Amino acid sequence: MSSSPMANSSGPVPAGAGIGLRSAHHEALVRERPAVGWIEVHTENYFHDGGPHLAALERARAAYPLSLHGVGMGLGSVDPLDRAHVARVARAIERFEPALVSEHACWGSHDGENFNDLLPLPYTDEAVVHLADRVAEVQDLLGRQILIENLSCYLSYASSRLTEWEFLAAVVERAGCGLLLDVNNAYVNSVNVGLDAKAFIDGLPAGAVQEIHLAGHTRRQVGERTILLDDHGSRVPEAVWRLYEHAIRRFGAVPTLIEWDTNVPDLSVLADEAARAQRRLDGVRGLAA
Amino acid sequence: MASLPELQARFAAALRGDPGPIGLDVVDDGLEAAGRLDIYRNNARAVFEGALERTYPVLRRRVGEDYFRQLAHDYRERFPSRNGDLHGVGEHFARHLAETEAESGYGWLAELAELEWACECAFVAARERPVGPQALASLSPDELSLARLRLQPSLRCVASSFPVLDVWRANQPEADGHAVDLKRGGQCVLLSCDEDGLDLVEMSTAALAFTRQLQAGASLGSAVDESGLDLAELPGVLGMLFAGGLVTAVTGSSMECDSK
Repeated sequence: MSSSPMANSSGPVPAGAGIGLRSAHHEALVRERPAVGWIEVHTENYFHDGGPHLAALERARAAYPLSLHGVGMGLGSVDPLDRAHVARVARAIERFEPALVSEHACWGSHDGENFNDLLPLPYTDEAVVHLADRVAEVQDLLGRQILIENLSCYLSYASSRLTEWEFLAAVVERAGCGLLLDVNNAYVNSVNVGLDAKAFIDGLPAGAVQEIHLAGHTRRQVGERTILLDDHGSRVPEAVWRLYEHAIRRFGAVPTLIEWDTNVPDLSVLADEAARAQRRLDGVRGLAA
Repeated sequence: MASLPELQARFAAALRGDPGPIGLDVVDDGLEAAGRLDIYRNNARAVFEGALERTYPVLRRRVGEDYFRQLAHDYRERFPSRNGDLHGVGEHFARHLAETEAESGYGWLAELAELEWACECAFVAARERPVGPQALASLSPDELSLARLRLQPSLRCVASSFPVLDVWRANQPEADGHAVDLKRGGQCVLLSCDEDGLDLVEMSTAALAFTRQLQAGASLGSAVDESGLDLAELPGVLGMLFAGGLVTAVTGSSMECDSK
C-alpha cells in the first residue's frame, strides 16, 4: 500500500517520559502499548519510500506522540550542507508530523567522506557562527525550529575559547533553535574531558531546553585513564539520575527520553526506565504545584 | 590555532589513519591525542561495519566475523560512506566483491551480495495498491498482446550462476546454516516485499527474463518474444505475479486500469 497521510495528529510531546523506538520493538510497542508518554526514532531510519518499518512507525505514530531525532546531518561540517539529506528529513516530517525535530551540535563529513559519527566541534566564535548559520539554514528549509543536542566527547580542543554551555547558548541565540539536553552526555564528558556537568546544566539558557535524553554508558580503561563510552547499551546509571534530578530542578518537567541503542532489552525494561524518569518528573511537578 | 576547516581536515586525516598534527590541538588530560582519536577511528569503522553487516547478514554468517571485517575494511577503503544515511553504504559491495574475490575461490560472494542488496532495496521500496487478474479478463487477444503491466516498485529480479537462493534460505536466523552444494548451478530469483516482509521465489530463466521485460515497460507480447518464454508457462507466471500482488496497473493502447 502506498503511504498515506496520518489519520490524525497525535499532538505535542508531553512533559513526561518517553522511549526511543527501535525496529526490534516495532511490533511489541503496538501490541503491548506500554505506559510511556511518547516515542522518538532516528529520522534516517525512516527516509525510504515504503516498507515494513515505515508501516510500523505509522502504526506506532497513531498511538504515541512522536519526535524525530537525526543523526546524519553533520550540521557543523565545513563541507557544504547536504540539501538532499535535509529534503529527506523534510519528507519524513511531512509524512509523520512529529512534535519535535532534533539533531546534534557536531560535524561528520570532510571532503565528501561521511564518518557517520558525531564529531566534536571546537568551542570558538568561528564554530558558533558556522554551526548557528547552518542550523538557521536548515530551520529555514524545514520551515520549523529544531533542537540541537550536546555531544558526548572523547577529546577537547586546546583552541576552545568558550565553555560548552557558552558555545551552545551562543548558537541558540544566533540561530533561534532549541536545545536537547543529553544528561548522560554531560556526565560522560565530565569524566572524559573534565566538564563540570552541573555548571554545564546551570549555564544553559533555561528557556531553550525542550527535551532531555537519558541513557547508559560503558566504562573502559584506556592506558591509565578511565573513559566512558556513550554506547546507550545499559540502564541509566545512578550518577546520571542524580544529574538529571539537578537538571529538572532547574528546567522543570521537560519531555525526557530513555535511549537504548545497543544490547537492546525487552520493551518492558525501557518502559521501566521511563517510569523511573516519570517519577522524578512527577516529583518536580509536585514541588512546583 | 587551526581554523575550523583546517581542524576538520586534520581530524579527518586522523580518522583515515594519519596521526598528523591534530595532536597539537587536543588536550591531553591523562590520555594523549592518539588514544582519544583511536576511539573515534574505531567508532567510524564499527559504524560502517555494522551498517554493512545489517545489509549483508547472510554473507556475514557464511564468511565469519574475521573475514567479513577484512572485506568491510577493504571495501571502505574503496567506497567510503558519502552519506549521512548509512542505509546505502553497501550499494557497491557486490561490484567490489566481483572485482576482488573472483580469483579467490569465493566468486559466489558477489552474487550473494547482489541478492542481499536487492533484498535491502526491496525492503524499503514503496508499495502500491495491487490490481487483480480481472484487469486482463476483458481483453481480446490483440489487446492482451499490447497490454503493459506495471509492477510493484519493490520487485527485483536476480539471476546468479551459483545457488544463492539456497544459500540465503539456509542462513536465515531461524535456519541451521547447513552447507549448500555450490556446484548445483545457478538460480533465478524474483523478490519483493510487502508489510509482512520479504518474499523470494525461484523462477525459470525465461520467466525471470519475461518479468524483467515487463519491468522495463515492454508489452506482454513483446516480453514473451524477447524473453523466449514458452507460452505454456505464461499463465503460471502471470498468475504468480497477480497472486503475489505484484501487478499495480494494466495499461495499453486502448485500456487503462490501475490502482489509483
